[in-house]
Amino acid sequence: MLTDRLTLFVSVAAFGLLLLVLEMVRRRALAEKYSLLWLLMAGAILMLAVARPALDRIAPVLGIYYAPSALFVVGFVGLLVILLYFSAVITRLTRQNRIVAQQIGILQVRIEALEKSLVQSRDEE
Amino acid sequence: MNPSADTKLLVIIPAYNEEESLARVVAGVQAAVPRADVVVINDGSRDRTPLIAEHSGATVVSLPYNLGIGAAMQTGFMLARARDYQVVVQVDGDGQHDPREIPVLVERLLAGQADVVVGSRYLENRGYITPWLRMLGIRILAGYLSVVSGQRFSDTTSGFRASNRHALESCAQNYPADYPEPESLLAFRKMGLRVVEVAVSMNKRYGGKSSITPFRSAYYMIKVILAVTILLLRRAPRRAESPYVN
Repeated sequence: MLTDRLTLFVSVAAFGLLLLVLEMVRRRALAEKYSLLWLLMAGAILMLAVARPALDRIAPVLGIYYAPSALFVVGFVGLLVILLYFSAVITRLTRQNRIVAQQIGILQVRIEALEKSLVQSRDEE
Repeated sequence: MNPSADTKLLVIIPAYNEEESLARVVAGVQAAVPRADVVVINDGSRDRTPLIAEHSGATVVSLPYNLGIGAAMQTGFMLARARDYQVVVQVDGDGQHDPREIPVLVERLLAGQADVVVGSRYLENRGYITPWLRMLGIRILAGYLSVVSGQRFSDTTSGFRASNRHALESCAQNYPADYPEPESLLAFRKMGLRVVEVAVSMNKRYGGKSSITPFRSAYYMIKVILAVTILLLRRAPRRAESPYVN
């Protein structure tokens, strides 16, 4: 376990990230839904860094001769997935945002028309 | 226009910072088609566009911030659908389109065999001068769209259009948010809506600035070609349903 400085450093960083994400969720600064991918990635990196034998077996399969750098590959892929997921979330938010703005514009016109007809009917009385 | 005097007609004018030209455009529309209702979609303008629109006597829908011309037009289509208009005509707020040609579009639409009528600058040569680089872009787009849609289009970027109830309902449901014109042509075709071009003359804009810059033109081309290609890959929708996802 933790035979070299790199895996030690990565374990500490991954553990820190795990704690940070959990704390942010606890303070409601991050929704559970959006914390899942981060927790998953930090957890996977932490486990691989701590369980060196597993890492030593996986790394050669990926064609990586210096096993600890496999940790970065895992981190990189994890980040790509998270970013892509967030791009999809932004796309959805943009669409919902657009619909809200459109509805506000239409409602405004309908309210103005209602107010006008209300004033008119009051004047007729 | 007499045979169609009872058709409920809405002219939608999308406007983003068009204070210099809008009053003239609205007045032109009111003069050319007095029986039409006019709605200006103020797309989050930062100038006096909404004031000018109010004073012109048009209905004004003000969007809280700039959404892009496609989303602005979709708002107009939504209003048209809610208020049971049978025909919608889009006229740009910059004065490029001649309101006196609205009846040409509407008559062609009401004559049947068309769900959407597009006013084309290039169907006949009427002296509209386009810079060569833009002409190249327009040709490429028109060529690509003609190939993928199986219908010859001469002016895919024209926003001067008339739509009947079928088309306006589908546009209300779904419409591309930005650079919608070429993409929507393919969408109409995929839904089995019939698109017809008629020749029109177009003016130079009355005032204000064109949104066209070399960088934007390049982005425009790439975005539109991507959007059209992806639309092509989507499952063909049924008539009532739109090929976009809302």
